Amino acid sequence: MGTWDNSMDQSDPFESALSSMVSSPAASNVPVSGENVMMRELIGKLGNICSSGDASCYTTPLNSPPRFDLSMVNLPNRSSLAAPFSADPGFAERAARFSCFSSSGNSGGFNDPLMDSFKLSGNQPINVDGSQSNKNSGSDKKNSGVSRSSSPENAESGVSKDESSVFQQIQSQNDAGTRKRKSTPREKPKEIPSPAADDAKVASENEESNSKRSRRNGAPAGNGNAKGSNDGNEKQRKENSKLLEPPKDYIHVRARRGQATDSHSLAERVRREKISERMKFLQDLVPGCNKVTGKAVMLDEIINYVQSLQRQVEFLSMKLATVNPRMDVNMEALLSKDMFQSRGQLPHGIYSIDSSPAFPYGYQPQQGLLPLTNGIPNTTETPFSMKTQGFLLPSVDGFTDAHPQVGPMWEDDLQSIVQMGFAQNQPQSYQGSIPTGQVKLEL
Amino acid sequence: MDLQNLNPSSLKSRFTARFLRALTEINAPKTISSSSPREIFQRYRRIKVAADKSMAYSVRSRRIWSRATLWRLRTRSRSRRLVSFGRRASVKTRTTASHGKENKEHHGAVLGVQAEELRELVPGGEAMDLCNLLDETAHYIKCLTTQVQVMRTIANLYSIE
Repeated sequence: MGTWDNSMDQSDPFESALSSMVSSPAASNVPVSGENVMMRELIGKLGNICSSGDASCYTTPLNSPPRFDLSMVNLPNRSSLAAPFSADPGFAERAARFSCFSSSGNSGGFNDPLMDSFKLSGNQPINVDGSQSNKNSGSDKKNSGVSRSSSPENAESGVSKDESSVFQQIQSQNDAGTRKRKSTPREKPKEIPSPAADDAKVASENEESNSKRSRRNGAPAGNGNAKGSNDGNEKQRKENSKLLEPPKDYIHVRARRGQATDSHSLAERVRREKISERMKFLQDLVPGCNKVTGKAVMLDEIINYVQSLQRQVEFLSMKLATVNPRMDVNMEALLSKDMFQSRGQLPHGIYSIDSSPAFPYGYQPQQGLLPLTNGIPNTTETPFSMKTQGFLLPSVDGFTDAHPQVGPMWEDDLQSIVQMGFAQNQPQSYQGSIPTGQVKLEL
Repeated sequence: MDLQNLNPSSLKSRFTARFLRALTEINAPKTISSSSPREIFQRYRRIKVAADKSMAYSVRSRRIWSRATLWRLRTRSRSRRLVSFGRRASVKTRTTASHGKENKEHHGAVLGVQAEELRELVPGGEAMDLCNLLDETAHYIKCLTTQVQVMRTIANLYSIE
């Protein structure tokens, strides 16, 4: 009764209820069957305490009274339960440990002196329930179904286990949950593999990250955790070979040998790889950059190229401004031909140009219609033939050095095609009223 | 046959369509070709704006630089001198802030100088980190080459007389 009184002193609501509970069984030496009834009674009363008592400690959503009943009913070892029951001193403590277990999985909010006294006392079958409820709570965030399904067998085995083993189970379940959780982010960003990755070399990184994780996860489960967490981490290390901080959505990268493995340098490395990847791509884009190596020179080249392109655009727009614009529709048709030509190949349909105003180029694009005909003045009777002669294009300017392969191709093909097209179209007089539906561009 | 050519909704076709439309708008009002430099200059500016605008619209604000270009054009059209001045001033301050070129080159961020220059060139590049900047630069280069091609062709066509 001494310990009983001590524990009782520490929480008042507990005291009154427990006294009532304890007194009743102590008074009657009940047979085994009766004990069950009284156990249920007790549990029910405990549940009442929980529901009516301080919400923070006792009434977590997992601590519903009915669950207490069920857990007690499912107990295989009722006689063993009855034993401490009749030896009432430790009963209240163990009974209260229910709530301790369930709340400890959540947030360790139950850091009361009650907890200490409970831990001190020996483990008995109440662990079954505690473990069950605790497992449910601990894995509630992750895969609660697993825990509930496994709880029956845990209930069986939990009878003889002690407290540390219970915690170990919890921890391993936590780890299993985290393992499951981590596996999904692991699959996702695999697009950044390090070329020189080596699985064995990751051990150091994993140790570090695992140790960080165990430090974080170790807090809620209490002090019996160290062994359990290490075991869990061992398993994890073997299974997952690339892990970073699990709860965050990082890109997972393998640490290379001899390189720092903290998160900052890893992120740095990812960045650098991205940048070099893009530099390579740019190298393909910018002509004449294949021999150049080194980021600085590459960037200089890129800058020069962009500047030259922008200057070309300005020059061409100036040219367009100065050129006397003859908005012939045929120009746009020519344009489409030129667009065909810009890759240097003749389209099939070019030879099927007939005398109809439409230019069926053999392609039926849905889009790309030139609505030019609307804005085109109808007075453009300029004979097309005039254009044929002058159609030999000189290369435009000095900028073609940037596109040496494109220019000549244009001119040769343009000549042939345009002459053909123009020859056919000469007899017509273009009113500039080519129906829009028939002018189709294939670009 | 290069399939890219046949794509009716490719960047090139979109840009060409828009640009030609804009060109006709610009050129339509004047039935007589004026040769005064001032008008030519004005037309040049309008054409340049039209080119940039049509390219940006063809990209359809999928890219940061196109959005920046469109924004710039819009704000310029509203309050011309003020905004562009302000933007240029801001850009200039940034460049003057990074004027220690040699220092930057030898620092850890080796690419600091060129990155700054690139940021000036690519519209909207001021707010991007290097990674995205390179991305945008690649797309910007591609669009610029398309633009140059089309404009050159058009210019050639126009210059046939």
